[in-house]
Amino acid sequence: MSGPAEVTEKAARAAAPTRGRSLARVATARRQWIVMAVLLAVACYAPFQLVPFRVFQLTMVLVYAVALLGLNLLVGHAGQISLGHGAFFAVGAYGSAIMIDRWDTPHLATLPVAAAVAFALGLALGLPAMRLRGLYLALVTLAIAIFLVPLLKRFEAVTGGSMGLTLGKPVPPAWTGLAEDQWLYFLALAVTVVAFLLAHGLLRSRVGRALHAVRDNEAAAEVMGVRLSFYKTLAFAWSAMFAGAAGCVYTWVIGFVSPDSFALTLSITLLASIVVGGLGSFSGPLLGGLFMMFVPSISQDVNDAAPGVIFGLLIIAVMYVAPTGLAGLAGRMTRSITKILRKE
Amino acid sequence: MAGFLQEIVEGLGAGAIYASLALALVLIYQFTGIVNFAQGELAMFSAYIAWQFMAAGLPFWLALVLTLAVSFVGGMLIERVVIRPVEGAPELTVVIVTVGLFIFVNAAAGWIWSFLIKDFPNPFPGGAIEAGGLSLGYSTLGIMAVVGVVMGLLYLLFQHTKVGLGMRAVASNPSSARLVGIRVGWTLALGWGLAATVGAVSGILVAPLLFLEPNMMGGVLIYAFAAATLGGFDSPVGAVVGGLVVGVAETLAGAYVGFIGSDLKVGVPLVIILFILLLRPQGLFGRAAVERA
Amino acid sequence: MSENAFLTVTDLRAGYGGARVLHGVSLAVGQGEICAILGPNGAGKTTLLRALSGMVRVRGDVRLDGADLSGRSPDTIARQGVAHVPEGRGTFMPLTVEENLRLGAFVRRDRRSLRGLRDLRGRRGGSAVDADLERVHTYFPVLKTRLKQVAGSLSGGEQQMLAIGRALMLRPRLLLLDEPSLGLAPMVTQELFRIVRAVNEEERTTVVVVEQNAHLALSIAQQAHVLESGRIVLSGSAEQIRADEQVAQSYLGYRV
Repeated sequence: MSGPAEVTEKAARAAAPTRGRSLARVATARRQWIVMAVLLAVACYAPFQLVPFRVFQLTMVLVYAVALLGLNLLVGHAGQISLGHGAFFAVGAYGSAIMIDRWDTPHLATLPVAAAVAFALGLALGLPAMRLRGLYLALVTLAIAIFLVPLLKRFEAVTGGSMGLTLGKPVPPAWTGLAEDQWLYFLALAVTVVAFLLAHGLLRSRVGRALHAVRDNEAAAEVMGVRLSFYKTLAFAWSAMFAGAAGCVYTWVIGFVSPDSFALTLSITLLASIVVGGLGSFSGPLLGGLFMMFVPSISQDVNDAAPGVIFGLLIIAVMYVAPTGLAGLAGRMTRSITKILRKE
Repeated sequence: MAGFLQEIVEGLGAGAIYASLALALVLIYQFTGIVNFAQGELAMFSAYIAWQFMAAGLPFWLALVLTLAVSFVGGMLIERVVIRPVEGAPELTVVIVTVGLFIFVNAAAGWIWSFLIKDFPNPFPGGAIEAGGLSLGYSTLGIMAVVGVVMGLLYLLFQHTKVGLGMRAVASNPSSARLVGIRVGWTLALGWGLAATVGAVSGILVAPLLFLEPNMMGGVLIYAFAAATLGGFDSPVGAVVGGLVVGVAETLAGAYVGFIGSDLKVGVPLVIILFILLLRPQGLFGRAAVERA
Repeated sequence: MSENAFLTVTDLRAGYGGARVLHGVSLAVGQGEICAILGPNGAGKTTLLRALSGMVRVRGDVRLDGADLSGRSPDTIARQGVAHVPEGRGTFMPLTVEENLRLGAFVRRDRRSLRGLRDLRGRRGGSAVDADLERVHTYFPVLKTRLKQVAGSLSGGEQQMLAIGRALMLRPRLLLLDEPSLGLAPMVTQELFRIVRAVNEEERTTVVVVEQNAHLALSIAQQAHVLESGRIVLSGSAEQIRADEQVAQSYLGYRV
């Protein structure tokens, strides 16, 4: 039996070569940009229409989306698994928090540093794990996710220990006339847009093509001269960088970091969200972010354990029936709807 | 010197528990090439089942036997229902499914029994045997004895029964095993059942040492992974030896490396995993370079 | 063909996923006969054997001594006495030679063999399976000296002997051999075929052998079928096939 993921890929590849389809593809790409522009317009308009709490929730959706974007690069595009992306998220969050706390660094200036630190860490940890197949990366990242919490608690002088660090939030410049929650939202939105463009560019580059080759067939990619471990490690480092950037924005938004916010649950929820949102798709991280924000906040009223039960069942269900997740499902639906419309 | 030996004894006690969970991981890996990330959570769930039996008034040992039986059947069911549909799918798919199982089982336990910690009775008396300056706790001895018995039984099963021979045949060459008439599907389910049973032993042994709660096995799972990586994922003997080594290394590091202390001990398995991956990726007892496609 | 054939295959269709490999194969083999299946690569010879032993889904009718085998699972078919030596030998590498052989008797229900390798007290001998182990040793003396050795350490020829020995442990009524000569030196191959012939004569075991080396297969077979693109294009006695020069050139790849 060939796996469901494989089947869709094969179908996609089989569909690719025909001329008409490739024209259709250009059209879809153009439509995609139009959709993106509309989305962005809506996103810019939304904070002026919503109460601050909703704006905060949307901000968190963007934060998660950035982290998921990174995870999507790794899992969806390079076919590797990380069970410890919460750790890189935490590295970014703490990196930013410590810089603000100790040296009064301006909030925005912490972003590149946080991202760079996460990138470097991803590179260092990816090297030993990537020499072998993806399984070991999952092991190593899981171990990191579990190790991180006591580590953060240990270096109390720097990290504030179990109590964590409380920080001021970025102050909106007067010329914008924005409230704090709106300013935070736009900061997150800006980071999200840049992150999406960056990821898009990455995937279109040589590196992206190499990653796809690795995911689709490691052996063949290697024969064709793709330096497997190099690209896999690079993908891991990139994805760690996105998680770190997301963590940094998280610190701005929440104004507080503590070790228990970054327990294993965060890592696992990130993986679950990108799987459900849609692996390897453009809108997957956004849908996953929505999912990560709203499934717990809605279902927790039923039972504390309800989000976990829902996530667990959904992941398994997605792997059985729709390996491309919500995004794939949505795509499939729009395609069948347009087909029906065209027939009429 | 006595203190050092004492730490080693303690380490072996902890290592025995890691060994049993590592053994569960290796059992499933051997048959299916799957690393079951939900193994620790299944063990935790088994511990809750045992707790429930005891809460209903059953004595510990009876509760243990019943729990092992339930775990065995549960493990087989999980293979048939959850894993079967993705059998032969890409590794990524299968790993994600076991992660889904991890999340689900964890949450289900929290839903049924709440996330509040529960006391789990220790089946072994509190005292210790004093011998040659060493203090051998009954609890430590008991754990080692239970794990020893489990391993002995597994050895007998695999080496001296027809079922065990069939299981080893499936592990080594599934299609050839089908040709000689072994029902491979059921054998895989049997492997999951056995793994769940062995894992349950580790869960029930750990529960009195920690507190019983849904996240109890997260740390233990990492130690078990380190043990299996160290011993080699395809070697049951390696899993046992690896478990003991990891247990001792962790205890010694906690006791003698001031920086590590008791709170950072969970970094030891991470370091072990990284070192093994760099130096001898197939593990001490594993077969080299056999990569399942 | 003969009405009282032991193995009859009628309009057998089989394939993998969407790809059909066999398009209606019919043949009959009499009891105690050796039947050779010849043909070029990709003709469906291996699939035919896999269809007979239940390893691929089939449509059509397969009967062994009257019993319907089509659509049955491999273990049911093995229980009916069909032993399949697969291409590549199917050795259980990390297991010992003895364990490999005993696995061949896995589906047999002889009372003592249920206990497996030996009973817990370490006693051995006496069971029907042990007797069959001895019987295999007489055909393949080399295996007897290697019983405790790990099967993966055997040479290619020895592994092929082990595979046939394993099949014999079933006391098969029908023995399916897939490319026994593959990758072996000519001397070894000849020895193997001599033993297959001996088994066939002494035990009246019916044999279906798939072989690239047509010359060798025809030397021991009574009848032969040439398979091409999933269809039987020619059937006849081994002599007829051998004598047909055109066949020899187009399908068997050698001149007479």
